[in-house]
Amino acid sequence: MEPSSDPVVVRHRELERFANATLKAGRILMECGASVHVVHEGMTMIARGFGVEGVGIRSGYASLAITVTAGDNTITRMISVGRHAVNHRLDQAVRALAVRVSKGGMTVEETETELVRLARETPRHAPWFVALAVGLACTAFGRLFGVDWAAFLPVWAAGGIGQYIRHQLLHRGVNVFIVAGTIAFIAATLGGLGAMAVGSKTINLAMMASILLLVPGVPATNAQTDIMDGYPTMGSARAVTVLMIMVFAATGVWLAEALLGVRA
Amino acid sequence: MTMDAILHLLHQALFGGIAAMGFGVLFNFGFRLLPWCGAAGALALAVRTLGLDDGWSLEAATFAAAIVTSCSASVLRRALGPVCNAVALAGCIPMVPGAFFGQALLSFFALTAPNPVNADQTIVLAIEYILRVIFTLGAIGAGLAIPAHLLKNREF
Repeated sequence: MEPSSDPVVVRHRELERFANATLKAGRILMECGASVHVVHEGMTMIARGFGVEGVGIRSGYASLAITVTAGDNTITRMISVGRHAVNHRLDQAVRALAVRVSKGGMTVEETETELVRLARETPRHAPWFVALAVGLACTAFGRLFGVDWAAFLPVWAAGGIGQYIRHQLLHRGVNVFIVAGTIAFIAATLGGLGAMAVGSKTINLAMMASILLLVPGVPATNAQTDIMDGYPTMGSARAVTVLMIMVFAATGVWLAEALLGVRA
Repeated sequence: MTMDAILHLLHQALFGGIAAMGFGVLFNFGFRLLPWCGAAGALALAVRTLGLDDGWSLEAATFAAAIVTSCSASVLRRALGPVCNAVALAGCIPMVPGAFFGQALLSFFALTAPNPVNADQTIVLAIEYILRVIFTLGAIGAGLAIPAHLLKNREF
C-alpha cells in the first residue's frame, strides 16, 4: 500500500509517534514509583519538547492515556502500565531525559532509543546485596520497636531470605499479593524459629519485624501525595493496594503464628 | 537529659539510619545517595524520639520528625538536586507504622474467631492500632508535603 500523502494523515501519524514515545516514558516513571503529578509533568515536558501544542493526560493504576494536539489535529493513545515498584535510579534517569527532550533537539527516535537504553542499562543492586540490606533494615526496624538483641541475627536472616525469595517470585511473574502472603509466612516462620532457638523473649515481635520488608511505605505516602495533588482516584487505588498487601501479609503471619503456636 | 535518655536517642537514630539505608538499597538509590538516606533516617528517628521522650503523642512526634527531615533535605537541595524529596521520603520510611498495621489486622482476625477471648479488649486494641496507622501515615505524608510545597522544591 502506498504511504498516504494527505497532510492531515501525515500529521496524525507524526502526532501518534509523539504520543507513543511520551506514553512509554510515562509508563516507566509510573512503574518506578513516581507520583501522578511527576508522571504528568514528565510526560508534558517530553510532548512539548516534540513540538506538541496541547497535552491532556489521564492516569489510572493500570493504564495511561494521552491526547496531543497540534493545530487542528488531535490524537489520543493509551498504554498499559505494569507492576508498580520503586526504582529510584531509573526514575531519576527518565526525569533527566524529560528535561533534555523539553529543551528541544531530540527526535522521537532518539528519545525512544534512549528510553530503551535506560531501562536496560540503568544499574540495579545485586539481588544478594539487596537481600542483605533489606534483612538488616528489618532487624533495625525490630530494634526500633523493641525486639531484643538475642533476635537480632535471626530477624536479619529471616528478612534477607524473605527478600531473596520475593525477588525470585516477582521475577517469575507471580501475583504480588500471593507473594506478600507467601513471604510473610516464610519470613515470620523463619524469624520465629530463629528467635526461639536463641532464647529470645520477644518472639512475636521478631516475627513481625521479619516481614516488615513487605510494608509498602512508598505507595502509602504516594497515595496521600496523589490525593493532595488532585488525583483522588489514583490515590485511592494505591491505598486499596496497600491495604490488600497488608491483609495478605498479616494472613501469612497469622498462619506462621498458628504453626509455631505463639499466638499472642 | 539523663545518660539513659541520650543512649536511647542514639540507639533510635542509629537504627533509624540503618533501616533507611537498607530500604534505600531496595529502592535502588545509588551508593552516592545511600549515606544521605541514612542521615535522613537518623535525623527523623532522633526528632521523633525527642518528641516521644517529651511526652508528645506518636503522631505529633512523627509529624515533627517528617517536617524537620523534609526541611533539612530542602536546605540541602543545592547539593542533592531534585532528589532531595526522595531522600526525605527514604528517611521517613522507618517511621511507617508497618508493625502497628500488622498487629491491627491480626487483632481483627482474632475477633472473627468462633469464641474470641477478651473481645472487648481486642477490639479496642485493634481500633487503637488502626487509628495510629492512619494518623501516623497522615503525619508522615503531611510532614513531607508541606515544606516541599511551600519551598517549591523542583521535581526535575
